[in-house]
Parts: sequence; C-alpha cells; structure tokens
Amino acid sequence: MDSAIEVKELTKYYGKLLAVDHVNFGVKKGEIFGLLGPNGAGKTTTIRMICGMLQPTSGNALVDGYDVSKQPEEVKRRIGLVPDISNLFGELSARVNLEFMGKLYGLDKKTRRERIDNVLELFQLKDRQGDIVKYYSKGMHRRLTIAAALIHEPDILIMDEPTTGLDAQTARMVREKIIELNREGRTVLLTTHQIDEADRLCNRVGIIDLGRLVALNTPEELKDSTKGVRALEIRVYGWDQQHWVSLFRQTEGVDNAVLAEGKIRILSQNLSGIIPLVVNLVEEHKGRIESISISQPSLEDAFISLTGKTIREELPSKTDYMRTRMTKSGGLR
Amino acid sequence: MMKTFRDSVWISENDLRQSFKSVRHVVWSLLFPIFMMLTFSFRYGEQGIDPQYMTQILIPGIVAMTSMFGSINETMSIVWDRSMGCFDRILAAPVSSSAIIIGKTLSGTVMGFISAVVVLGVGGLLFNVWLGNIGLVLLLLVLSCFSFTGIGTIISGLASEPREAMMLSNVLRFPMMMLGGVFFPIEVMPVPLQWVARAFPLTYATEAIRTVSTELTTVVLIDVAVLVVYTLATILIGSKILLKIVTR
Repeated sequence: MDSAIEVKELTKYYGKLLAVDHVNFGVKKGEIFGLLGPNGAGKTTTIRMICGMLQPTSGNALVDGYDVSKQPEEVKRRIGLVPDISNLFGELSARVNLEFMGKLYGLDKKTRRERIDNVLELFQLKDRQGDIVKYYSKGMHRRLTIAAALIHEPDILIMDEPTTGLDAQTARMVREKIIELNREGRTVLLTTHQIDEADRLCNRVGIIDLGRLVALNTPEELKDSTKGVRALEIRVYGWDQQHWVSLFRQTEGVDNAVLAEGKIRILSQNLSGIIPLVVNLVEEHKGRIESISISQPSLEDAFISLTGKTIREELPSKTDYMRTRMTKSGGLR
Repeated sequence: MMKTFRDSVWISENDLRQSFKSVRHVVWSLLFPIFMMLTFSFRYGEQGIDPQYMTQILIPGIVAMTSMFGSINETMSIVWDRSMGCFDRILAAPVSSSAIIIGKTLSGTVMGFISAVVVLGVGGLLFNVWLGNIGLVLLLLVLSCFSFTGIGTIISGLASEPREAMMLSNVLRFPMMMLGGVFFPIEVMPVPLQWVARAFPLTYATEAIRTVSTELTTVVLIDVAVLVVYTLATILIGSKILLKIVTR
C-alpha cells in the first residue's frame, strides 16, 4: 500500500449547497500534496471529512487503509491536523495545552513530557511555554498549533492554509518546517490559495474549484498543460472592467480572459494574432489602454484555463462568501 | 470503556482548568449568588438578620441556585469552545463521542457542586448558619447539579454562538431563580404561579435541600424522584443534541 490517503467520490451538501462534489484523489506516502483553490472552494470541508470531523454526504476517505466513517478513531490517531486558525485553549498555557493533547492521544506521562519538550524546542517556544496562549503573537500561535499536531508523532500531517495571515518571515519558517517534517518521512496534505506556495512546496497539486477537483498533477505538468498558451496583461479604462472581460472573451482566438489585480489577463494560443484585435476592440468601444504586456504562463494561468477565473477573484460572490463562512464555522448549525 | 472514561476525565479536567481561570465564571458562579445572599439577608432591615429565615429559606435556596448557575455556565463552555474552534481539537482527537459527552456532563456537575459548596461555606462563615444533615444535603446537591447540567447541555446544543446561549440560559435561569423558592417559599405566591414553579427543577432542589437539612420526610423523596426524572430526561435529550454536533 503506497497510498496514505485515498479519497473516493467524497461529497458534502450543506442543506442544498453542494460544498464538495464527488472528489477523488490519492495522497502517496511521503509526498507533499497540495489542494489549491480559492476561498470557499471546498478545501476545508474536504479536509474535515478526511479527518473524521464531518460526515460526508456520500463517498468515503481512507487513511492508511482505515475508512474514516467506520473507524474514525484509528484515522484520527494517524493524523496530525493543523487548522487554519489557531484553536488552542486561550486561557491555558502552551505547556498545559500540549499536555491535554498528549492525554487525548493516550500518551503516558513520561512520553508526554519528552515529546512536549521536543516540540517546544523544535518550534522555539520553550522559554514561553508557561505563558497564557491568548497573549501569543500570530506567528507563535501558528508554531504552537503545528507543535500540537505533532505531539502524537503522526505519519500524516494535514495542514489547512498553513501560511495564511503570517508575515513573510514566519511564513518562510513554516514552509521550511513543512519540508523538514516531510523529509523525516511524514506525508503532508496541505491546502492553500497561494499559487507560489503550491508551486514551491508540493510534489503534486490538486486544483479544486466550486467543490470539484478540476485537475491533479505535478506543478510542472500543470504549467505544461498551458503549453502554447501565452498571457497578455492589459489595463484598460473607459468601461467597467467586467465589461471589458466579457468583450475580450468573445474575441476570436482568445482562450480566456479574467480580471487579476486590476489588470485583465488574456490567455491565447496565438497572442500575436489577437493583440491587434484587442487593440481595435478597445478603440471601437472608446476605451483607453493604460498598459499592455506579455508574460510567461504560470501555475496561475493553468488555474485560469482550468477554472476560468483567477484564484484571487476580486470580490467573492455571495454564495462564495456563504461557503467560506460555513466551512470556517464547521458547517450549518 | 476504561479509555472512554479516562478520556472524559481529561476533557472535564481541561474544562474546569479553563473555567477557574475565567472571570466570567467566577462572577456568575460565585460572586452573583453571594451578592444575592447578602442582599436578601437584610430584608428585615433594622430587626437584623433572622436566623430562621437564613437556615430555612435563604441559604438552602441560594445554594441550590448556585448549583444551577455553576452547572449551566460550565456546560455552556461547549458553545464558547465551538465559537473559538477549540472544540475541533477534541473532535480531531481519537476520543469517542461518548467520552466527549460524559466529559462535558462531568465538568458541569463538578463545577456546580464546587460553586455550591463554596457558597454554602461562605454563607456559614458570614452568618454562622450551618445546615443540618450535611451529608444528605451534599448528595442532593450532586443530584441537582446533574439535572442542571442536562439543561445546560440542551442549551449548548441549541445555541449556535455564545450570546445566544447566554440569552437562552438567562431566559430559563431568571424565572427559575425568582419563582423557584430561592428567596421565599413558593406557597406565598398566587396558585397559578405555584404551578409554574412546580415545572422548574430548581423548585424541587431548593425544597429538598431545605427540608432535608431539618428532617428527612416524604417531601424530600418526592423531590428526589422528580429531580431524577428531570436529570434522566434532560441528560438524554442533551446528549442526543450534543451527539449531533459531535458526529456532524
């Protein structure tokens, strides 16, 4: 068996809202696997189902061969979960928090003491171990959250947005730690909405959007899938940006056009052919081109060509917002 | 089985550890009952404190009320934990659903009991009034704590966030406190209000503690029977609701 996690037709409905839609993927032992997708894509819901914290509507997940709906405790024992927001007990000290986790995972007193010393050392929290957690900084919170997930020395580490909201330095440290933990032989499943993070960290990336897994491959292969496609970045004034986007989309030769950070990104196999068309179109509609440039395809373009949108959609729609809220709070109550 | 019990002890220990550090708990579970006791002890004004009123009405009533506030408050930590996400920590750990439910019931009961005993002691020291049959009084307190924990679990299961839980619990607690025979016996109230009072578990808890501290009569046995039924019913319903949260 070389699969650490096997997800089969995993589906979750929140009422009528389809949050995860028949998702299939496998995480190989020893790899770093990334689930890449915008907020509200269904990443957290997927993870919660794998960890046995949420019942799937249908489908199942196997962890180390154990079916999570049938043997949740066996699954939980093998997984270390790092949630996206620190969920330690704020009124208690770091050490007491870790003690409690150790107890829940059935470690005896001696092992607890050793492991707690180890992880505190590893995450440079030793001299603050007695401090009440709610006074910790964001970076310390994240470090302690990862430390808490390692207390039972799990083979599989599942991390939800491990670097989101961290300053650059802490984010780098967390990434280095992830690589280190992976080198020690741990399988890592992480979610991210940062393309460069997926690109740099992961052996394989699954792109998830609107609850569906739309692609799964190595970052390189994913980038290659946009082979021949080039990107044109254009900044236009005169009309509402969405208006321009839909105009460009209808232009012949354009594979896709999306709004990305104030610019419109146009993907095409034949860039030189469409540039005049685009320029003409803008003039016809009495617009003004502020800037125009050509760029190499990135993982982001792979994402765009697969999902038809950027990962940082400027404003999430209302349903996206609802989705995010529901997954963050662990579903409808 | 052994593991379930051990896990539930860890969970309740962790709950209590947190609560003892939280101001909210100290205020609601201890200071509030003590203030109520002080306020009502002066109700005869210049005649001074009436020892008979203290032993027969106020102290047993306040102690029973404290067990209610302590237990319900502690159980509501479920709602706080859920809103802070720490409940997920327990959900992600290899512990059974029953361990979580037993653990939460245990911490509610222990907290209610500890608060009630502290208030009993404070009342004794302040007014030099000590209840008789103390062993039976303590046993009754344990029973009433269990029944209030059941109510707390139901509230925690129904409320989606802390403010809602506070609101729900106060809607239940304040009428119980005013009509449940804490400050005056329910017999002085108009008959329809007495019926209302008879629907509250607190009424039976106060009556039982008050009566048993002087003598053990059939009244106490009836009260105990009602409390047992209340406990079983609320804990059963509460666990059902909690189970839904735990195995969502």
